[in-house]
Amino acid sequence: MFKGIKDWLLNLKNEGVEKVPDETKREFLKIGLIITGVFAGGSLFSVISRVAEGLASSEELHKSYPYKPHYSMVFKIDRCIDCELCMEACRKTNHVPDYGWRTMILRRYDESALDQKTMFMPILCNHCNNPPCVRACPTKATYKDKKTGIVRMAYDKCIGCKTCMVACPYNVRYFNEEKHAVDKCDFCWESRLSKGITITACAEACPAGVRIFGDLSDPGSEVYKLVHQLAKPVWVLKPETGAKPNVFYTIS
Amino acid sequence: MRKVKILIGTLILLLSFTGIAFVSEKNKGESVKLEEPQEVIYYESEQFGGPEIVYVKPVRGVLFSHKKHVGELGFPCESCHNSLFEMQALKSQENPDFKMEALYQGKYCGACHNGQAAFASNTKCATCHIGVKGLKEYMRKLASKEKK
Ligand code: SF4
Ligand code: SF4
Repeated sequence: MFKGIKDWLLNLKNEGVEKVPDETKREFLKIGLIITGVFAGGSLFSVISRVAEGLASSEELHKSYPYKPHYSMVFKIDRCIDCELCMEACRKTNHVPDYGWRTMILRRYDESALDQKTMFMPILCNHCNNPPCVRACPTKATYKDKKTGIVRMAYDKCIGCKTCMVACPYNVRYFNEEKHAVDKCDFCWESRLSKGITITACAEACPAGVRIFGDLSDPGSEVYKLVHQLAKPVWVLKPETGAKPNVFYTIS
Repeated sequence: MRKVKILIGTLILLLSFTGIAFVSEKNKGESVKLEEPQEVIYYESEQFGGPEIVYVKPVRGVLFSHKKHVGELGFPCESCHNSLFEMQALKSQENPDFKMEALYQGKYCGACHNGQAAFASNTKCATCHIGVKGLKEYMRKLASKEKK
């Protein structure tokens, strides 16, 4: 009997997604699915997950990351306690003034939440694979490093027009008065990585193991293992912008 | 006539210089250092038997609430004093072992927060860790109360 159903299913003809009302498509998108087919007069849908859309490592990239090392950070977000030791370490290491920040902790508070009512969320530059800030900069002062994929600043080229600050969907840039240029996280490239240290100041300072930093192109690295698994959710911020972040979020 | 003009000119120059000096003085005042987060002992109300305590060591912003434990849950003082915690608030943060590891071994908060009597100390971090943001809120609360 089941064999009959299987044959019947396999022989159904895809009637085309064009006939599906936009509203239905949207409902499916909201729960993370894209409709790929319609069968049996609209009573059956075939769907695929849209998770890959948001990842820098969409499936075809899994085998070949464009950079070497392909620097990435993964946050185990539920472990963050807003001790801000990361921010302190960043300020000291990268000489970030009081009025600016390269990394920061956001807080979400929901009085009506069951049980735990607060959640902290660290943010920094996502070192996007498709960075809107780089596209927007008129002088190429901000650029994607061809080797490491780090989105960096050439401070002497920056004219302070702040176009990149507007273009960045993640609001992670600030204007540095002393440098007379826009400044932002460079994964500690200038202060540490270029000098042979393998971990950012914030990741080293975090007492809770929130910030995991490493090379996404190395299957032995912790970031690789955290991103390439399905047991726990992994997500990026604002995937709809198409910026393709290299900073991922997960839970411990 | 010429002398008068020179006089007026010098006066204007002098005035603008004092003006500039005044502005730069003002700018100096604005760039004061951010307030350094400090521990807080805040009495919400005498009826809870003890204050809201925000620890800053070994990490900043960890709340113990008498309001929650005594006021809402109704524990008597003897449940924690003096076996787990001394009466003097913030005393335990001076102990070198006042860390998460100690809690996992059943010391301090870990005596109850072990997954049986209450949620385990290695879960729901942000319930007690209110962070620097939470700490600053308590600092502000305390400051406005002291003003009154
Ligand atoms: S997060 Fe913003 S600043 Fe960083 S690469 Fe992406 S667009 Fe540029
Ligand atoms: S150091 Fe770690 S736990 Fe503390 S605020 Fe930063 S990310 Fe969160």
